[in-house]
Amino acid sequence: MEKVLEISHLNTEFTTEQGIVKAVRDVSFDLYKGEILGIVGESGSGKSVTMYSLMGLLPANGKVVSGQVKMNGKDISRTSFENDKQYDEMMTKVRGKDIGMIFQDPMTFLNPVLRIETQLVEPLVNHTNMSRSEAHARAIELLKLVGIPSPETRIRQYPHQFSGGMRQRIVIAIALACNPGIIIADEPTTALDVTIQAQILELISELMDKGNMSVIMITHDLGVVASMCDRIAIMYGGKIVEIGSDREIFYDAKHPYTKGLLRCVTDPEKDDVELEPIPGTPPDLLHPPLGCPFVDRCSEAMKICKVKMPPTEKFSDTHSACCWCHQKEKLGHV
Amino acid sequence: MSDKVILSVEHLKTYFDVTPGMFSKKKIVKAVDDVSFDVYEGETFGLVGESGCGKSSLGRTLVKIYEPVEGKITFDGSDISKLKGKELAGFRKEMQMIFQDPYASLDPRMTVGEIVKEPMDIHNLYATEEEKRDKVVELIKTVGLKPDHIRRYPHEFSGGQRQRIGIARTLALNPKFIVCDEPISALDVSIQAQIINLLEKIQRERGISYLFIAHDLSMVKHISDRIGVMYMGHMVECGSSDEVYRNPHHPYTKALLSAIPIPDPDVAKKRTRIMLQGEIPSPINPPVCCPFCTRCQYATDRCRKEMPQMKQVENSQVACFLYE
Amino acid sequence: MNEEKNPVSAETETIDPAMFEPLDDSEKNAEFIAVESRTFMRDAWNSFKKNKLALVSLFFLIFMILMAIFVPIISPFTYDGQDMSIANQNPTWTHPFGTDKFGRDILVRVMYGARISLSVGFAAAGICMVIGIIYGGIAGYVGGRLDMIMMRVVDILYAVPNLLYTILIMLVFGSNMFSVLLGVCISSWIGMARLVRTQVMSLKEQEFSLAALVLGASKQRILFKHLIVNSIGPIIVSLTMMVPSAIFRESFLGFVGIGISAPMSSWGTLANEARNMIYTYPIQLVWPVGAICLTMLALNFLGDGLGEALDPKKR
Repeated sequence: MEKVLEISHLNTEFTTEQGIVKAVRDVSFDLYKGEILGIVGESGSGKSVTMYSLMGLLPANGKVVSGQVKMNGKDISRTSFENDKQYDEMMTKVRGKDIGMIFQDPMTFLNPVLRIETQLVEPLVNHTNMSRSEAHARAIELLKLVGIPSPETRIRQYPHQFSGGMRQRIVIAIALACNPGIIIADEPTTALDVTIQAQILELISELMDKGNMSVIMITHDLGVVASMCDRIAIMYGGKIVEIGSDREIFYDAKHPYTKGLLRCVTDPEKDDVELEPIPGTPPDLLHPPLGCPFVDRCSEAMKICKVKMPPTEKFSDTHSACCWCHQKEKLGHV
Repeated sequence: MSDKVILSVEHLKTYFDVTPGMFSKKKIVKAVDDVSFDVYEGETFGLVGESGCGKSSLGRTLVKIYEPVEGKITFDGSDISKLKGKELAGFRKEMQMIFQDPYASLDPRMTVGEIVKEPMDIHNLYATEEEKRDKVVELIKTVGLKPDHIRRYPHEFSGGQRQRIGIARTLALNPKFIVCDEPISALDVSIQAQIINLLEKIQRERGISYLFIAHDLSMVKHISDRIGVMYMGHMVECGSSDEVYRNPHHPYTKALLSAIPIPDPDVAKKRTRIMLQGEIPSPINPPVCCPFCTRCQYATDRCRKEMPQMKQVENSQVACFLYE
Repeated sequence: MNEEKNPVSAETETIDPAMFEPLDDSEKNAEFIAVESRTFMRDAWNSFKKNKLALVSLFFLIFMILMAIFVPIISPFTYDGQDMSIANQNPTWTHPFGTDKFGRDILVRVMYGARISLSVGFAAAGICMVIGIIYGGIAGYVGGRLDMIMMRVVDILYAVPNLLYTILIMLVFGSNMFSVLLGVCISSWIGMARLVRTQVMSLKEQEFSLAALVLGASKQRILFKHLIVNSIGPIIVSLTMMVPSAIFRESFLGFVGIGISAPMSSWGTLANEARNMIYTYPIQLVWPVGAICLTMLALNFLGDGLGEALDPKKR
């Protein structure tokens, strides 16, 4: 399978008044053509920061310390550029054209004082050599594609005249405007109601069937991941603790955190089973533990977990996890 | 759970006047419109619906943050809808509320100890400061925090820990009834289960009844004995949680259930969802008709002219003309 | 099978098997809070300390207050002791700021003026704060019709030019400390009342004040224990901005000749006296004007620094 995005050993830090927060620690993954990769994690697990790091959208106090990002073989990592200016110039061309983005809250992404038309036509004119009238025709086509009724009249309206679900459709239309090969969706349905969420998810799957897109979907909802994604990466404490295909993660989870997470969600199809919560709270990345970030909440924790980061163990071509318990099995200290 | 009705709500209406200026046309949002239901002692009644359906307004009306326009709320045998002054203060000890946003529901300038102690100060529950302090420590332990946390400020805690502080505060009054207003929707998945289990444990130990408000149907099904489904200020279906889940009647309930994402890839990817078409009507000055008629695939002319009333259909109560 | 695919690495091989013992629950720190516990005021002080300009201003103000208290006590000269033989002297060791046309020591007079100007400034700000908090708090918390009436009263007060009624007050009550304070306060509390009202209105919809309501807290308790305490940041900032405006107002009254009357002096009256000598002895104007300017600057910097330190959005 063709890799459209390769991320290797990404590290991102934030400088705060209390000290340095290591938000992303040694994250590596690939995105293949035509797949939906789900990144699942709790708030503060570093899933959004990973995406902002590779898009060059970190706030002023954030910095990519090391790591490489390759898009279709082209190096687009911050660390391979001399200064911010060169990097920004390059990323401005990439964002919107090669990589489209869908954000959690459409209202913060859409400019409230501009018509939908302007916000759709602008990226088209900037990134392609379309004329304004061509771009306008394309914009109407896009609105039709994302299921907005009577696009010819609604394109003249402002964001506040649309409902939440419709706004998210517009954001998707903007993300799709230049036919990007990659879409990054950061919690695209979290702010929406369940019935609207179902519509948006349906729309994303329809679009996947039509075009040759690859999608990274960041979410905390295991239900959304199960119904949408081909592969799933589980993040905890700034690290990817397990990655695998949807069936491998849901039916054959290896990492104690993944197992715990699956026991926390209720499957309404099944009869009531007692929920087994993971005790404690996520680690503070200001003072991350020396070893495994999950050690304080893990039921299988060992002495080594507290002092040393576990190595990554491969279970199949797609499935790997990092936990000391797999090393223990191999060494036979059972 | 017993057969004794602890809370009975009859034809409750809570309206908000949102008229923008003195001379504009009157605009009324009917947040809760003619809702009736009973909650039995020791049970959990789940209230589900999408944002803006009036479930939070209903909860806030019950704990007397909002005044109802019409209707009767009977709590433990006495009508509380018109309570004032001293009697109201007495009632407040009996019915408490857990709030949605654990970041906003604790006063940022008070320590955890002061927050948990506040209800005891307000109602003069214990004679000495020592007794109060011992009780605070006991409550903090009940919710799974450490006694040395009481000197800290809320902003130092994570969302789940703050929600537990909020629960400790409500327990300080030993209430009979707690309205849980989306207590888990702002929390992470692994933390949600902690809070749900804590609430269930407290219910077992103290026999408290809950009104559990949420938009997450799967969690509501897990915690509730009975469920009410709300849409645009109306209750459209009400029944035992298994009945509502396995045998939904109202078209809206059906659509809502089919939209829940199921955390199981094999099931989730094969399932067909019911897609709702049509726009959600504006809640301002709504017409008298079935609130769901704009999005319902079975809508008839009668639905657009008349308001359906709650009727017994099999084991549930449903407000829909399809079942007449 | 896995063994073949992933041989145990040499590094892992060397790990002591004892390290694979299960970790005891007591060794886990599941409810651990890494952040050091800090009160709100300590936090604010820490970030205030980083603003050097504000810190210098704070020390300057403390220095000014100490001078105002002690110089007139320690100095052998009094503010009204005339000695025509040394009239209009330039600064000397005995009279560091020189003397005025009656031979009075200017240093003592400026510091005596500081007593009056600073106490008018702080007292006026304090009175305005109390009135503003109560008025704005009630209007904001109760809301509805009462709020409407209370705010229209404020609007009317605001619409009348304040110099007009200040002069009227001076005429009726005479030129003394009380009438100066009354004149300064009568309109300055309006800003504070409006600020407190907006703060209270936004805070009362927050869940923590609803929580207090549901717990059964009385209206007074919610207003003063929760809402006002949480608006203390903006109140303090506005207070530090109110002090210089009160000082300036008082100096202005003194300068136009309707303030505190001679031989007592405030910075305004001193500046007014020195103005007559501006062509012959310009140095005499430098002292009171310098004192006004530096104090104003210091108070403004202090206000900025506090504003930044107390801003809740920053954290």
